[in-house]
Amino acid sequence: MGEVMTAQGKNLPGDDTADLREIGFRSLDFSELALRVEDELEAELNFDAPGLRRIATVGDVLDFIEQLQSA
Amino acid sequence: MTAPRRTTALIGDDNTVVVAGKSLTWRTLHKLPQLPSPAAVLVDNGADALAALRHHAVHGTELLVATSSRVDNRMREELGESGFAIVLPTGEVTPAKLKRVEESGRAWLLTSGSTGRPKRIGHTLESLTTVTGDQPPRTWLLPYSPGTYAWWQVVTLSLTHADQGVVAIEPDELEDWPSIAATHGVTAASGTPTFWRQAIYRDADALAAVPLEQITLGGEPVDQAILDQLREIFPKARISWIYASSEVGASIVVHDGKAGFPREWLDRKPDPDRPILSTDGDELVIRSPHHGAGLVGAVHTGDRVEYAGDRVLITGRLDTDEINVGGSKVSAGVVRNVLMGHPGVSWARVFARRAPLVGRMVAAEVVRNPTLGPLTHNDLVQWCSSRLPDYGVPRRITFLDEIPQKETLKSDV
Repeated sequence: MGEVMTAQGKNLPGDDTADLREIGFRSLDFSELALRVEDELEAELNFDAPGLRRIATVGDVLDFIEQLQSA
Repeated sequence: MTAPRRTTALIGDDNTVVVAGKSLTWRTLHKLPQLPSPAAVLVDNGADALAALRHHAVHGTELLVATSSRVDNRMREELGESGFAIVLPTGEVTPAKLKRVEESGRAWLLTSGSTGRPKRIGHTLESLTTVTGDQPPRTWLLPYSPGTYAWWQVVTLSLTHADQGVVAIEPDELEDWPSIAATHGVTAASGTPTFWRQAIYRDADALAAVPLEQITLGGEPVDQAILDQLREIFPKARISWIYASSEVGASIVVHDGKAGFPREWLDRKPDPDRPILSTDGDELVIRSPHHGAGLVGAVHTGDRVEYAGDRVLITGRLDTDEINVGGSKVSAGVVRNVLMGHPGVSWARVFARRAPLVGRMVAAEVVRNPTLGPLTHNDLVQWCSSRLPDYGVPRRITFLDEIPQKETLKSDV
């Protein structure tokens, strides 16, 4: 997540409760992160597996990605 | 005054034909024994394909010629059931399953199959001979796979015009074609943008040693970067790009060195010898005098257009070019043009990747220009960010070691 932020010229705060809107982490950044995970794992992920839910904080993103990997 | 009559007489029968390093003429090419008609002649070398073509031209037989690798068993069955005897590279002949009267003079082409299984399109030597009038003496490179529309274009030009030699390049010679071309004094060459990029990428100096006066690009979207690179290497050559297909023939020919064609060419006044170009939404529509049999009238090409000032750019296939990123649409061709505009990029392919939240994201594969310094993922993202909307910037870029190329000289861009 830090690499995605850095590529956009932004910094990832250390606090998992940080609001995504406030730190400028947008849908495209989130999607890029998921693709980076896919590339890292060399496997196609099932993006529907974690189900629909609110992703508002840094912690939400990390949870979502973790669920993707274990799905 | 009557319009000049198009002729398909074999005026070029004494033109030079170089195959496998041997300098022959059309007339002295080896003869294929007892070629049936209708026949699907499957070849594994350019010499046999040229011999089959001349046999067809002299005897008016019904012919489909293609490399054996393009015609799978299922298609061989279909051809047999449609009345074609199958002639294998070994000379072995499988008789047709359906006996029918030949269509005299009919030449069949297979489409490239970019939209699914290759389709059979009917032509004649006349409908395939789109270059008319006196031509300056030239020696043409023939790098195309036998039986494709582009192959027919070069070989009919050579067979029906004086002083138009051809130098056939076999698949295993493709990597080294500039040295072969220089040896045989090739002055004109037609290839896909991928073909030209590979030549520049492999050895630009070897390419520059070929005495080219005419450079033609076609078969894939043509971007400004490749036109400019070729202009730099060949400042005096005429550089043209052609939009052509088995279905509509050679329909757009542009010589001004710019990508796209002038917008004023859309919906010009009808002229019996000139295709009528128009658009239907984002799709290029062509009504062509060079069309295949049964394709009279407006043909929806399936190719996507985009306007850039006074030019109309052909960006790629309609069904794959448009990438929908969370409701915002971007053309893969436009993104590819931006990537190709970076001096450190030799080749790029842009495609959609499935992604959460936005549905699809833009991704790319890139081959770096080896003569320039290092190029990173972030360099390219920044280059694109300053030229494209956010959703059009490829966020995942993979670097390849070499430019991929298929038998058709295309690379599925």
